[in-house]
Amino acid sequence: MTIFKTLISLSTSAIAIAVGIAPATAGPVMDDIKAKGSLVCLVSPTAPGFSVPDSKGVFQGFNADFCRMAAAAILGDASKADIRGVGFSDSMKTIVAGEAHMGSRSITRTGTRDADEGLAFVATTFFDGQGFMVPSALGVSHALELDGASVCAEDGSTTLLNIADWFGAKGMSYRVENIADKTARLEAFFSGKCDVYASDVTALSADRQLASAPGDYIILPEIISNEPLTLVARPDQAFEAALFWSFQVMLNADSHGVTSANIDAIVADLGQQSPTVQRMFGADAATTDMAAKLGLPNDWAYQVIKQVGSYGEVFDRHLGTDTPFGLDRAKTPNAHAADGGLMYPFPIR
Amino acid sequence: MMQDFRSQIDGKRPDWLGIGVVGLVLAGVGVLIVNIFVNMQAAGMTPGYGFLAQTAGFDLSESLIPYTAGDSYGRVIVAGLLNTILLAVVSLMLATFVGVMMGLVSVTPSPAGRMVATLYVELFRNLPKILVLLVLYVLAVRGLPPSREALSLGPVYLSNRSIYIPTIVPDAGQVWLLAPLAASALAAVWWVRRARRIKAATGRESPVAIIVIALLLCVPLGFALLADVPLEISAPSFERFDYEGGARLSVQFLVVMLTLGLYHGAQIAEVVRGGILAVPSGQVEGALALGLSRGHVTRFVVLPQVLRIVIPPMINQFVNLIKNTSIAIAVGYSDLMSVSGTIINQTFRPLEMMLVTMGLYLGLSLIASTLMNRLNDTLRSRGARRGS
Repeated sequence: MTIFKTLISLSTSAIAIAVGIAPATAGPVMDDIKAKGSLVCLVSPTAPGFSVPDSKGVFQGFNADFCRMAAAAILGDASKADIRGVGFSDSMKTIVAGEAHMGSRSITRTGTRDADEGLAFVATTFFDGQGFMVPSALGVSHALELDGASVCAEDGSTTLLNIADWFGAKGMSYRVENIADKTARLEAFFSGKCDVYASDVTALSADRQLASAPGDYIILPEIISNEPLTLVARPDQAFEAALFWSFQVMLNADSHGVTSANIDAIVADLGQQSPTVQRMFGADAATTDMAAKLGLPNDWAYQVIKQVGSYGEVFDRHLGTDTPFGLDRAKTPNAHAADGGLMYPFPIR
Repeated sequence: MMQDFRSQIDGKRPDWLGIGVVGLVLAGVGVLIVNIFVNMQAAGMTPGYGFLAQTAGFDLSESLIPYTAGDSYGRVIVAGLLNTILLAVVSLMLATFVGVMMGLVSVTPSPAGRMVATLYVELFRNLPKILVLLVLYVLAVRGLPPSREALSLGPVYLSNRSIYIPTIVPDAGQVWLLAPLAASALAAVWWVRRARRIKAATGRESPVAIIVIALLLCVPLGFALLADVPLEISAPSFERFDYEGGARLSVQFLVVMLTLGLYHGAQIAEVVRGGILAVPSGQVEGALALGLSRGHVTRFVVLPQVLRIVIPPMINQFVNLIKNTSIAIAVGYSDLMSVSGTIINQTFRPLEMMLVTMGLYLGLSLIASTLMNRLNDTLRSRGARRGS
């Protein structure tokens, strides 16, 4: 079966090259998605704010929306994303084995993982990292003021190593409360048994909601470990490019205030827009050229914004200040580069 | 019956059943071990203990030996093991004390006393210990004040983090101060032996407890007052976040100790009650009829027999308690289990680390049961000498 498919694609590419036209077949993964008419995308089964099934069993959340981004760009329909909840180590295996096209599940991009040839890391959608939460009554505004503090952290986790490294490097002393049970850990923090709670910033934001008065706690600005959570794909140059540039469209839309709500008005009045916006959504734009080369629908950039939204929109919808998460994007590394963050839109031209 | 077994063991015919069972077990274990090594090699893993010398990189909630994150995995295992041993020893003493007291109360004629004992035993025997632990932990953490509002009991402070105690700073030049303590201890030992000799020779009782306490307490204290040596005291004082100086006992340690003490105390109480009820009432009546006082009946007739009945089930309790110290991981006491789990997560050497951990727990339990068995043998031979 596979040999047969390969033969067909080989012969078609041979014909294409011989005839001298752009290949209609972009790559095996891209072809597979188009042939099936759906894109299998793996998310974490339960990650509040990132991917949780709604009452109909459909995954909603920040990570789930990047599955929809891919389906909107490649198939023109965000609802054709077949989003499945799979555990961490199983999801890696599933993608390598070819049972899924991509993963959007808070995977930290690391050197050893990237060296694996069965996986391609594409675009970092969320810069997470380990941080500190303190009661605002403690009067601490920077982690450097924590010399001598007691720190609560999960027993057995990498957090323990990161805090040991960080306090050691700063020449500061601390006491660790390495508590395995989550209830006991949160009780210890909320009752003042420890001054500081250390974990990933997203986990801190979620756990803060469990306090009787979440407003009494602040997350300090220092991030002591880097966790770039990145989209992974089955290796395929065209598919990877489609994912990467769809994400760039979302970032560029963010720079120019284009959202799913106003995109129709903007496209209707394209002549008045900035050159960057024209290059993204115009009828004869840079994105049209890319569509032909990557084998995407001509209006892929429009569909991504129309059906999913800009990066800022997706962030605020699932994690922003109006959600239980209450993350102020401007205060995280996920802020736009113009605001001092790491979200740097690449030029689409 | 006895004769039948003997003849089989003596080997008139081979014990095919026994050989078969032992052979099957050994073959199973062999297949398992070979399989593990083959599979590990296939996955590119070579089993080994070289990682024990690598840097651990994480800190502990408390340690009896000096330990920092820069020390090796080997050292952190030792620190965790010592924490487990400390917790086990202290909890054992508490559980035994609580258990014996409650066991005695449960056989008193007082209905109120019996009711208290029954309530206690039924409550703690029928709840999962991890639940008891979490409830006590949450109560302690919420009920005790945070460190900046710590309760002050003279120079001792109590918060939901720790009990802070002033200590004497050790000074090598002042070690000779321990000499009077050693001398009075030697004197106490001599007095106890002398009392025994007199008892054996003449049957006369001489005061022991009072003299020993007087020797151990008054002599060193009197000496300390007379000598007037300036001892450097390290007292806990509040710094920016916490008390520094002196010594501290963490709340999680106290809570786990209390949980294990109460949980196993309830079971020990039942063991003790059973032991007392097993002494026939005729013996007590007989002893009373011989003119022994109530106290002497308990001390010389009931207790020696109770001890002999109670020790085998107590070995079971002690070994269970040692293993149950591993619940401490839930509330942040850095015991052997917690250390072992963190090492596995960092090194991805589950097999090697689990073997080490199993070996250490097994060793601790075997030492405890060996000591208890010795005690049992001593009591039995002493009983036999007395002809009971």
